[in-house]
Formats: sequence, structure tokens, C-alpha cells
Amino acid sequence: MKVQSTRTSVSQGLRHTAAFYSGPFDLFQQLIPLVRAGLERGEPVAVSVRPSTEDALYDRLGNQPGLILLDRPDGPDGGSGQTVATRRARHLRELTTTAGPTTVLTEHSSSLDGVDGSFWTELDAAANVALADLPVNLTCFFPEMPLHLEIVDGARRNHPTLLVGGEVTHNPGHWSPQDVLRERPAPAPVILGPPDLRLTFGAWQLNEVRAMVERALMVAGYGRDRAEDIVLAVNEVATNAVEHGGGEAQLYLWVAGDGTGGDGLVCEVHDGGALNDPLPGLRAPHPSDPRGRGVWIARQLCDSLHIWADARGTHVRLRAGA
Amino acid sequence: MTGTVEDMTSTGHTYAVPVSDEQLYEMTAHWLGTGIVAGERVLYFEDNTADAVLERLADDRIRVDAALAEGQLTIISAEQTHAVARAPAAQVEALLIARIDEAAREGWPGIRLGGESSSGLLEAGGAGLIGYEQSLERVLLARPEARVLCMYSRSRFPDEAIKQLTDLHRHEVVQPALYDDTLLRITSIGPTAARLAGEVDHSNRPRIRDLIDATLDRALRSHSAPTDVTLDLSSLRFLDVAGAVGLVHSAEEFPSTHRLVLTGIRPRVLRVLDRCGAPFAAQLVLRPRVDE
Repeated sequence: MKVQSTRTSVSQGLRHTAAFYSGPFDLFQQLIPLVRAGLERGEPVAVSVRPSTEDALYDRLGNQPGLILLDRPDGPDGGSGQTVATRRARHLRELTTTAGPTTVLTEHSSSLDGVDGSFWTELDAAANVALADLPVNLTCFFPEMPLHLEIVDGARRNHPTLLVGGEVTHNPGHWSPQDVLRERPAPAPVILGPPDLRLTFGAWQLNEVRAMVERALMVAGYGRDRAEDIVLAVNEVATNAVEHGGGEAQLYLWVAGDGTGGDGLVCEVHDGGALNDPLPGLRAPHPSDPRGRGVWIARQLCDSLHIWADARGTHVRLRAGA
Repeated sequence: MTGTVEDMTSTGHTYAVPVSDEQLYEMTAHWLGTGIVAGERVLYFEDNTADAVLERLADDRIRVDAALAEGQLTIISAEQTHAVARAPAAQVEALLIARIDEAAREGWPGIRLGGESSSGLLEAGGAGLIGYEQSLERVLLARPEARVLCMYSRSRFPDEAIKQLTDLHRHEVVQPALYDDTLLRITSIGPTAARLAGEVDHSNRPRIRDLIDATLDRALRSHSAPTDVTLDLSSLRFLDVAGAVGLVHSAEEFPSTHRLVLTGIRPRVLRVLDRCGAPFAAQLVLRPRVDE
């Protein structure tokens, strides 16, 4: 059996650095050299920055073929860091497979802070898991004085290295993603109105879960293949709920036109179990691992999938458009 | 007296008691399909199950659309059966005899009637269905060339009604399964081959592993046995991720002399297998379903 050494996998995998800026000028002083260095190495440089920063980048550098814009983290569930990390991982996996090592630069945006700024903590912890095996050099820029102290605390815990005076230095305050999320768990999403459909189910009623979701999707006019994939995603989440949650779980469905913004089916699964892995299904499991693939596939098939836990148990909300 | 569908060359009024919907679809499709292939006139009495039975006939590669278009196969809906059954017995019998005689006049070499005795008739009082079956029995005494298979599903008929109804018939038709939990049905189709019908999920997944292990064991112990373990998935409508991963792992653990062959795979099941590394398992052969 071939065993890859830790050293090799670290150098080929994610490098995740935090940088702090005092104002827009300071941000550019640090950002521009990183973009230039990446382009000079012949690597793609993918950025996710605020619109004003984007404009300024193009003003300074012109249209560079290697410069790529990543989606900004937004949408109806923009507050789900794990969803954004999943989407980033998918894009960057495609990009690095064809273009090789990639420089990625992101900027904090206060519009996503939510009530306490913990979105950013969740996003960077999830990125550490989801991007771990990708040849990506990711630098995240944060204001030195954000509205929420959590943003600076989270950044210092999540990033193994810091950019200081243009140099990448070891960050002694770095924590593992598991420790970060134990201290600051993924938050519950915005509460929705009463669901259109509810079902209490156990391990022997998963077929009823599938039938209910499939009927709802057919009525809503989803295409057959898409509906089948969404049914699979819900089945995997529901299977986990009865497997780990011990006994019964609840399915809630919001079908359409009820204030969910018309972004397709919304489904929640609630069980009474504890969450051992704080962010399951973020990394593609090795083919020899019989477990953990279900949630990973569900995350790939849904537009968003957010898992959180509280004293009552484990909860999943997924959203899937037609 | 009991026998399998193949044994039913004798005429008469036969019945079956499926334990699951999957068995109901399987036996009805088998009865109708055998008639279609033999070129007989086929009347199918359905009880809101036509979609599932026609789907199963397509799984079985029966050219059902052609049979419907050419007037060989006729589907008689539950509503039509109800309407007929409300008529006096003599009228029902005359109607059925007319159908049988018409088929003979048209030159069909035989006629078979089959499907579900409408459970709706039972709710209407019970006498309706019993009376209807008694009429059918008298028709068959008058026209012994016609053949009838009546299905009484355990899920649709109370035990007492089944007892009362089956006493009116001469033969029971059985179709044994290796496993049937009402969600998934496994039948043997060869020494190292089995067919899965229904859905595989968390509740019955271990059965697939057991089936493959036992079948591989049989294949390894006999020199004359095929070196392929074949699972016909034509009627498998759902496979969950762990089920797909399990099939891939099973194949990877096969001795190098043997292969796991999956046939008739529906697109939905194929997508799950593809996402679980099936294309990269050397000893796993995937044969997707090809629709005509």
C-alpha cells in the first residue's frame, strides 16, 4: 500500500494565509503584489473581492487573461459558510485540474457579517476542510478593525500562516477546524415560516421520505433527472439522521411561493443526535471509505446545504432549484 | 394445487396471492407478457396499477406498445370492472363469453384474462366481488379454452376475504422469491444470477451484500458455474449511495477470476454508481439499460 507522507501532501495542498489591512490603500499595497506574483508565475489568480476593489484591480492591472473572478458569497443562504466553501471547492477543483496551482485572494465584506460575524469563522474553517487537498494558495484579507471582534479572532484561529510586512509567517494561534467549530459552532439559518409538508420518519420509512419529496418536485415541474438527484440528496441526509440520530427524525418541506424567494425546494431534516464531525461531507471521501460519501454527494447536488447542531439535536437545511 | 406461471398450461380459473406490490407487478407482467409473446389475445383488468405493470412489462423487454396498438392487449380499468360487476350475473357472463368468442373469431390462438380483482368491489359490500368471481367460474366452464389469473394482494385484501375468494378457484400460482420486504424483491434467475426489483436503501442494504456473498460462494464452489455473478437491475428504481458503494466494494473484493455484472441499469441508478467510483472498479461490469 502506498502511503503518502504528510510533508508531500502539505506542500501540494492548501496554503491558507490571513492578511489584515488598515484601509483601502493598505489593502492594495498588499493585494497587488500577490496578484502580480501569481500572474508572473503563470498561475491563474482567482479573486473574490468587493465590487469597488474589483474595479480598482482592473484599473491598475488592465485585462489580464489569468485573472479570474470567483462568485461572491451571496444568495438566499449567503450566510452559510459551509455552502460557500463547498461551491469554492467545486470551482477550484475544476480550475486546478486543468490549470494547476492557483492563487486565490478573497476580501472580507461586512454585508455577510450577519449578527456577529461568525459567518467568516465558519467559512474559513470549512475552507480548511473542503480545499485541503487542492494546490491552492489562498490569502484572505480582513480589516484590522472590523465591526465584530469575532472576525479577527476567527481569522487568527483559522489561518496557519499570516501575511506580515509582505512576508508569510507561521501563525502560532492557529487551531484545527474541529476546535474552531467546537468553540464557535455553525449558526442556525434564518427561521422560515411553517413548512408546506411534514413527515416524521424512522429507518424503515425512508421510502416515504423519497416519495413525498419526489411528488413535491413533480408537482413543482422539476425535470426528471434533476428531481431524481434531489431525491437522492434528501435520502442521504435523511439516512444520516436515522442512522446517527437514533430513531425518529422530522422532514419539513417548503415547496414554492411561500416567502422562500422562489429559489426552489427547501427541505429540512431534524434529528435528536449529536454531531461528531462538525462539518460532515465537505471533503470527498476516499473510495475505500464506505462512509461519509452520502452527505458529500448531497452537498454537490444541492444549491446550498447547511448543517448545524444545538441542544435539541442535529439539523440540515438544503435548497435545490430546478 | 399450486404451480408456477410456466406450469399453467392447463385451463381454468387460477389465482395468486402476492405478498408485495413488487410481486404483484412481477406476476401480472409475467402472465400478460407470456400471453403477448405466445400471440394470444390478452385482457388486463387493472386496479389503479396499470402504470406499474406496464413499466414492469417494459423492464421485461415485452413490446407492450405494439401489443396495445395492434389490439392484442386491452387494459380494462377498475371503473369499467365496477360498472360491469354492478350488472346482473347473467349479463356479466354474456359479456365475457362474447369477448372470448370474439377473440376466437378474430383468429387469436388463445385468450387470457388476468390482473387484479378490483379491491374497490370488496368495499362495496363483498357480495359484488364474490358474485363476479362466481360468474367468471361459470364462464370458464362454458369456455375452457380461456385462461384466467386473479391476483389478491395481501396489501389490498383482508385475510378473510382472500380465503373466501381463493376457495372459488382451482389452482394457486406461486412465484417464489429469495427475499421480499415489500420495498425490495429479489428473485433467482439463474445459478449465479438474481434480479432486484424495487428500492435499495438503509433498511435493506445488508441483504444485497448477503446475496452477492452467497452467489459468489456458489460460483466458486462449482467448476461448471459461470464466473460472472449477475444482478439484473432492470426493475431497480432506487439505489442509495451506501448501496452503490457496497456494490463497488463487493466487486473489488472478488477473486480475479470472477466478475460482478450489473445489467439493465436505469439512468437514475447508473448516475449513483458513477458518482461512487463504479467505472473504476476493474471487476465490476456495468450494462446500462438500452431502451428501444
